[in-house]
Amino acid sequence: MAQKYALTKEVPKFDDQAAYNHDRPISSLIRAQLLHLHTAENLVLPRKARTGININHLLTERQASEYIQKVTSLLHQNGKAGNRKVRAAGYAKTAGKGSKRARKAGVGRA
Amino acid sequence: MPAGLDNLEHIVVLMMENRSFDHMLGGLKVKFPQINGLDGTESNPDANGNMVQVQPTATYQGQFDHDPDHHFPGVDLQIFGGAPPGPGRVANMQGFIKSYATQGAGGNASHAIMNHFAPEKIPTLTTLATEYAVFNGWFASIPGPTICNRAFAHYGTSFGNVDMNMFLVTEADRARIPTIYERMEEGGQSAKLYYYDQPSSTMEIVNLVKDQSLFAVYSDFVADCQSGNLPAYSFIEPNYSDHPGPDGGQLLATDQHPDHHVLAGDRFIAGVYNEIRGNSDLWKTTALLIVYDEHGGLYDHVPPPNCTPDGFTAAGAATGTGFDFKFDRLGIRVPAILVSPYIPRGTVVPGTEDPAQQRIFEHASIPATVTKKFLAGNDRGTVREQQAETFLDLLGDNMRPDDDCVFFNL
Repeated sequence: MAQKYALTKEVPKFDDQAAYNHDRPISSLIRAQLLHLHTAENLVLPRKARTGININHLLTERQASEYIQKVTSLLHQNGKAGNRKVRAAGYAKTAGKGSKRARKAGVGRA
Repeated sequence: MPAGLDNLEHIVVLMMENRSFDHMLGGLKVKFPQINGLDGTESNPDANGNMVQVQPTATYQGQFDHDPDHHFPGVDLQIFGGAPPGPGRVANMQGFIKSYATQGAGGNASHAIMNHFAPEKIPTLTTLATEYAVFNGWFASIPGPTICNRAFAHYGTSFGNVDMNMFLVTEADRARIPTIYERMEEGGQSAKLYYYDQPSSTMEIVNLVKDQSLFAVYSDFVADCQSGNLPAYSFIEPNYSDHPGPDGGQLLATDQHPDHHVLAGDRFIAGVYNEIRGNSDLWKTTALLIVYDEHGGLYDHVPPPNCTPDGFTAAGAATGTGFDFKFDRLGIRVPAILVSPYIPRGTVVPGTEDPAQQRIFEHASIPATVTKKFLAGNDRGTVREQQAETFLDLLGDNMRPDDDCVFFNL
């Protein structure tokens, strides 16, 4: 932005290469996100479109981000294709237990 | 109606991750006594009973290799110091070191939970807190983790969840309790949820499954700000992971979830602010709320107050404490800052430190405020929303001149 401002505050740069670590083990938050996306792809995507990835093998932020990108993209594509029907039977809430499909897929709870 | 509210066309919410009020803003109290932060005497016992005081020695990265506990049982320990649930139990905020010690942070490593930032280390957040409005009494909606807290921002409830399991909401519940985005759409108003990029995606998977058109990426937010096409309501999610960029570069996480680099997040906040600030039409018609979803297990000295139960109950097996939770107590305090040129410099919204003037906010305040502004008369908000404080009364009549509003040099 070319506009000059009268009142400014510096926010320092830092060595982001030193801070970057895509091999960092994933947090419980990202583990939960993986589980949610895995559940979503099994509920929403036609069998042929699913990734077939076992999320228990995703241990680092890089590994997780690759899966997250794949499924997010597939969900968007699936939505555009008009295939947004969610099987009602699999969509029911079971409080605190996780979905049966998730358990069948060998996915542990986050 | 004050000019700030009359001119308001956009509300933008940026929700960051897992840092408490005292951890991020507590150090401001020394120079700004109205801010309910730290005076340096606050302490917690460690495993040996030694009292460990707060220290302004938080670092950007490396102190929390073991993620502090922010799940329901851990937060219960942090708030109540280990006393079991029961009548007469007092919230003493004395269990933080004990809690962190259970996460593999043995010995003195557990003391790090008492560290807070010296204000100059996070210049964006602390500048915005003192230049605009900071909330002394914004609490997480429940004493638990991210997913259910974020749910209060989207739905006004977590549907009885206190954990991180995906809540596949029943159709009946969805019909009864739509998201704020659905309500905006029904009301003819625009709304968008901007996640950082697809490798980071959204934590709002339920809505991603249901309606992909609600979502966009952060570069779209930038473009929408620059073109003046921002929707009426925008919710922004930061980058949740370190991952390769599309051009082979490296993208740092910007969510500030431990142990991601905190300055990276501070620069991200500055970027969001600058995008709005840099468009003069947008600047005078937008209110930006920067808030954190939960405290992340990090120390805060303010006991969370009780709140209106939202009609759901989490059973003892789900809470992990063996005792039911009726959603009648808020979570631990988080940083929350409201930005607008119609807010006088140095505005501090009192919390529980001022019983006569206190205003208690939580994440249900977000859909409550959006509803009040854009959907007047919409009564589909949850119980918690209907009871929640809203924040647009902080926008006054006088617009600060351009040379009185900061711009961040990145």
